[in-house]
Amino acid sequence: MGLRKLLLVVERDLRMFIQYKFMLVMRGIWFVAQVALFGLVVNKMVQSTTEALNISYFQYYVAGVTIITLYSTAMFIGYDIFEEAEHGVFEYLLTLPVSRRELVLGRSIGGGLRSFVYVGPLLVIVLLILGVSNPLYLLVALASLFLFAFGVAGMSITLAVAMKSGDKYDILVGVLDALIVRLSTTMYPIVYMQKAMPAYATLAGFNPLTYASDLFRWGTGVEGIIPINPLMGVLGLFVFFFAFTFVGVVFYERRLEGGSWQ
Amino acid sequence: MNVKAILHVIEYDFRNFFRYRWFIAGLIAMNLADLFISAIVFTQMTSIINYFEFFAPGLAVVGLFASAFMIGREINMEVRREIHHYMLSLPMTRTELAVGRVLAGGLRGMLYMSPLLITNFIVLRFPTLPQLLLILLTLLLLAIGISGVSITIAVSTTSFEKFVTARGVVYYMLFFCSSVFYPLSVIQVLAQKGLSPLVTFAQINPLTNGSDMIRSFLLDPAMGYVFSPLMLVNVAVFSVIFALVATFAYAKILQRH
Repeated sequence: MGLRKLLLVVERDLRMFIQYKFMLVMRGIWFVAQVALFGLVVNKMVQSTTEALNISYFQYYVAGVTIITLYSTAMFIGYDIFEEAEHGVFEYLLTLPVSRRELVLGRSIGGGLRSFVYVGPLLVIVLLILGVSNPLYLLVALASLFLFAFGVAGMSITLAVAMKSGDKYDILVGVLDALIVRLSTTMYPIVYMQKAMPAYATLAGFNPLTYASDLFRWGTGVEGIIPINPLMGVLGLFVFFFAFTFVGVVFYERRLEGGSWQ
Repeated sequence: MNVKAILHVIEYDFRNFFRYRWFIAGLIAMNLADLFISAIVFTQMTSIINYFEFFAPGLAVVGLFASAFMIGREINMEVRREIHHYMLSLPMTRTELAVGRVLAGGLRGMLYMSPLLITNFIVLRFPTLPQLLLILLTLLLLAIGISGVSITIAVSTTSFEKFVTARGVVYYMLFFCSSVFYPLSVIQVLAQKGLSPLVTFAQINPLTNGSDMIRSFLLDPAMGYVFSPLMLVNVAVFSVIFALVATFAYAKILQRH
């Protein structure tokens, strides 16, 4: 496998991402609104309970919103695949002097990397808000977030190539987004999910967003003791990354042949 | 103005609406996930209010907004694919066409929102007949106003990306600065952070008035929500302004395209 060719595919996806200026601006506004309005106001609403846990809900939520943003931007690669299928760019990609495997792997890496590039500046702001208690923990957390972003990109590619219609993909992503975000600890601690409905907490225990957000909070020191073992969290994200990158690559590779995406 | 022509336009938009049945099913699933997952968990976290009961009326407004705004997505697509030439060639005046589309957007919003409103009645309580009529009237006016905002944005933006961006900005402003997700009393915290204009905006926001009006009829009076005719007036003013702006913008800007 040629590393140079792989990098060219990654570069192409990064360049394409920068073209979505309006989408990027909108996501930025969404992030600021979530933090500066929703986070501040809800922090006031849930103050009594968060005081009991020694965690500021605002800090808890800011970390969670960062993970939601990372997730949603990594999912965007699926829309690109549909756009390419609709506009006949697939055929062009297949004519390039790049093997199928390099193309597919490059797209998976590009999908994850560009979401990290986008979230990077937001991450700096978030770290300024949250502070860092142990740089080593933070490095472990950031490495885990890389795995998470690549895994989400792989999942997005798998879903996109498994569906024939862009509309159906859009709906599926919307519903999946609603469930995967809400059934995770991005917005609320697991102890409250357990109180509300034990089944929610059980499902959250298998959710990669839970691992990513808990590890990020642990890395920054917002939450000294997280509900999951950090090592198990990293392992969970690695399994998620490996499964979807592998499945996504195999699926995409098979669909590329014989025009079965049409 | 020919009412029959307007009804034809409404019928056309309703037929289009049902073509997106999977999209609608997806939207309903997302809204119900908000209520039956997020709201239930937040109820455990806050001692100020029963969040589940508080949020249920807000959810009806969220659904109304999302579905009434869909008309703009379609009109923007028509402009980009130049289907508006066909629309303008129909045997009706520009005003009839524009009025039909604004009304259709609002009525579609009402249709989509009805299962969410019924869920409210089931989980909270059933209103009396006059209260029900007042709720439906207010929500219809709100839906027409939202449809107007959506159409105005749709005909003023040349690409889908710009439309989606503008929709996002309007959405964040209207929802986060309203009492849809949290009580107005809690929003006062923004004033302490030097954001008093946002608090004022939240008070006059039609989404605040729409959701608080439903709360005044469906929630326990002890929660402090009391119906005021000003709520209806506020929503009506919003509706009239944006229905007129949208009608004018649709009729004039499309001709220029």
